[in-house]
Amino acid sequence: MDTERFDRTVTTTCGYCGVGCRLEAHVRQGRILSISPASDGPANRGHTCLKGRFAHQFTRSRERLTTPLIREAGELRPASWEEAYARIASELGRIKRDHGPDAIAGLASSRATNEDCYAMARLMRAAIGTNNIDNCSRVCHSPTSFAMRKSFGLSGATGSFDDIDHADVAILIGVNPTQGHPVVGARIKQAALRGCKLITIDPRRIELADYGALHLSPRPGTNAAVVLGLCHVVARDGLTDADFIAQRTTGYEALAELLGSYTPEAVEEITGIPAADIERAAHMYAEAGSASLLWGLGVTEHKYGSEVVQLLCNLALMTGKVGKPGSALLPLRGQNNVQGSSDMGALPDTYTAYRPVSDEATARQFEQAWGVPLSRRKGYTIPQMFDAAIAGDLKAMYIFGEDVAQTDPDTAHVVEALENLEFLVCQDIFENETSKYADVILPASSFLEKAGTFVNAERRFQLVEPAIDPPGGARTDFEIITTVSKLLGHDMGFQTPWDCLDEIARLTPQYAGVSRERIGRHGLQWPVRPDGSDSPVLYDTFFDNPEELGKFAALPYKEPGDAADDEFPLILVTGRVLQHYNAGTMTRRTNNVELVDRDVLEVHPQDAAKLWVSDGDLVSLRSRVGRIELEAHVTERIQPGHVFTTFHFPETRTNLLVGQSADVNTSCPEYKVVAVDVRPVSEHPAYVPQLAVV
Amino acid sequence: MQVTVDGTAVQVSDGATVLEAAKRAGSWVPTLCFDERQAPFGACRACMVAVDGSAKPVPACTTLCREGMVIDTTDPTARRVATAVVELVLSELPSAPAPHTELAAVAAKLGVEGPRWPGATHPVAHDLRHPYLAFEHELCISCGRCVRACDEVQGTFALTAVGRGFEANVAAGIGSGFLESACVSCGACADTCPTDAITERLLLDGGNNGGPPPDAPRLRRRLSTN
Repeated sequence: MDTERFDRTVTTTCGYCGVGCRLEAHVRQGRILSISPASDGPANRGHTCLKGRFAHQFTRSRERLTTPLIREAGELRPASWEEAYARIASELGRIKRDHGPDAIAGLASSRATNEDCYAMARLMRAAIGTNNIDNCSRVCHSPTSFAMRKSFGLSGATGSFDDIDHADVAILIGVNPTQGHPVVGARIKQAALRGCKLITIDPRRIELADYGALHLSPRPGTNAAVVLGLCHVVARDGLTDADFIAQRTTGYEALAELLGSYTPEAVEEITGIPAADIERAAHMYAEAGSASLLWGLGVTEHKYGSEVVQLLCNLALMTGKVGKPGSALLPLRGQNNVQGSSDMGALPDTYTAYRPVSDEATARQFEQAWGVPLSRRKGYTIPQMFDAAIAGDLKAMYIFGEDVAQTDPDTAHVVEALENLEFLVCQDIFENETSKYADVILPASSFLEKAGTFVNAERRFQLVEPAIDPPGGARTDFEIITTVSKLLGHDMGFQTPWDCLDEIARLTPQYAGVSRERIGRHGLQWPVRPDGSDSPVLYDTFFDNPEELGKFAALPYKEPGDAADDEFPLILVTGRVLQHYNAGTMTRRTNNVELVDRDVLEVHPQDAAKLWVSDGDLVSLRSRVGRIELEAHVTERIQPGHVFTTFHFPETRTNLLVGQSADVNTSCPEYKVVAVDVRPVSEHPAYVPQLAVV
Repeated sequence: MQVTVDGTAVQVSDGATVLEAAKRAGSWVPTLCFDERQAPFGACRACMVAVDGSAKPVPACTTLCREGMVIDTTDPTARRVATAVVELVLSELPSAPAPHTELAAVAAKLGVEGPRWPGATHPVAHDLRHPYLAFEHELCISCGRCVRACDEVQGTFALTAVGRGFEANVAAGIGSGFLESACVSCGACADTCPTDAITERLLLDGGNNGGPPPDAPRLRRRLSTN
């Protein structure tokens, strides 16, 4: 270690995206002075991006919450921890007494540790007595989780990032790794430079398309037709793996029948992708010795997002490209612990490892461990919580590490729900849009200030170790949640997060062999057997359901929830940029704002000309539910008929535009297809611009 | 296959380099242009070792092992070459490299103190336009690690080797600085740089970030000459 410049160096895991870079945090005088990548990090192998390496100034921002705040006569005022805890205990106790436990709901955070999320779920289930617990994976990868459990059995990537190094072909659909998952993006780029053929499928021409063999630009919301078209060509041209289908799968006949009508020409009609490109892509994928599928929120955040993931699983099953080196299905999870927060059972319908709350044996096991009776009834999902709050059925919420008023769709609806609550607790590192409606705000800790574990997008448990102390009177989320539970009469009995990890391992067969010591520097990929051996590859010999078979799903293409029309002629797609992270809570409080300081609207030059919009003009963006203004950026990255923007800056309020349309199976919002009307705001147009209907 | 390094027999796989064998045997070989995240480059000539059957020392990072090879990392001729290389590199710098740098560590371990050859040194030239990354061009030793990190680790190709001979240096884009280049600010260049020719601004102006590091006066002086 460099003792000349640093007091100490702590190895921990990055708290930004789901790649899970292992980092060395260098500390001097109680502050982070520098961060460098750990050379032995299994996912990052000595590399990291500008967020992991540089964006740590937010930890010492003057805006950090350092004392609890409680609302009195309409105003928030600083309070002691005792006052804040007393208010929470008395209000939650009163609401539970008057309206029952189901009038209270909690949100765990995909930014927090497994132990924080498990404790939050236990707080809601055991101390309150309700299954009203959810986390922000609801609005990102819940469709992936749902679909992969249906098709293969387990909710996670079938392989590891290392499979990218061994793949001859990789299909990237609805994912922009060089922006959203930069270190995996860099690994994919290196693989492409070494000869791996990339097929990128995205309405925008993403950076990796420039390194790929083929780029397909479907109309937003038509992913299902694209994948069905690929499957059609594979079946038609005899590129299937007949032995694999016969021995390892079930349900192929129904799919084969469905595929008949998805000819490349029919798919071109729906998606706008040339039929010849569909043919080429299908042949490249199916004829490759090994080929992987990667996707992101461009697949999931749709009305039929979960079905598209099932269709992707079909494609892999037909060609036998699953469970082999280089042939993996790798959903790129958005947040650092979006995998783990759901694995830990911070969901309204499941305990750890996705065991249903209605399952009697599981519920009994937890009742015995926690010493309280537990509800067998499913709780509310996040959108259901807001609906229930507006209906008056939900009276109190306890939200930690999530800014729903900024990031959830249909902002006006969310705000109405928050205003309707009798009691709202927010636990965060900064005040945010949501905490404006809070009755108690608790100052919590960032990932550099806490201990525990994250699970990355490869299902890998990795250690999180505190490098610095929480600022001022802030405390760790784990300490806060366990204290609140104790005050509500349920003592979890944990001294440290490591006690909690031991309980998780003890009560979850899939994580039976997990322990702090065994995770060590290299992590463990679940399932982890009692002897500590882990699972880099899933499904190499059997699928994880009672029949041990991969399940085909015969699901037709259906139209997205929103479509362009005369009034709203353009389709808005939203996404991230490299320099900022989601709501920007952290990155906006670092020098990253010197690199990117605003959200812009990407418009194709053809549309810009029709709309009389020039680069840099302020434009108005109106959807069926809201209107915002932002700066236009004219670029050919985006296709004509589509516009793109990010949602990193709260003043933009992009989510005012997104309506209530959501995934049919998991209620993940349809962030990726919003019909909008764009026009310059500097002058009133003399005529209504006419655009071709897309 | 089996090779012998400084009298110790070690097993290495086909295609292993002499440097890998030496590391496996626990023998130290001085390196400046080597980074295990990058393909061997063989530019700096600091990693010279003797192998049986070769009349002259060979670079350990680009020489492949062969069955039964006998390697001597402490061969006096090889060490003399390595020491001279490091001394020549140091002679071009206007100030000694900071103690935490790889160059300073290699020099210390080889026993190189001040260079014996006074003469021209690189002119001080700093570029602090990027919020996180700083150039201190006078410290560049043209090892190529930053350029290769940008190409082989990140894949952004924002850095280029420029100039010839004594003028050789590194530039982002076409000399336009990080901000105007294709740079994605990943910092892989600063991470690999063995001299701080590319470094983190937060480490330079420590004041904004946890108090000045111990070598701050030296750095401040360098900054003030900008």
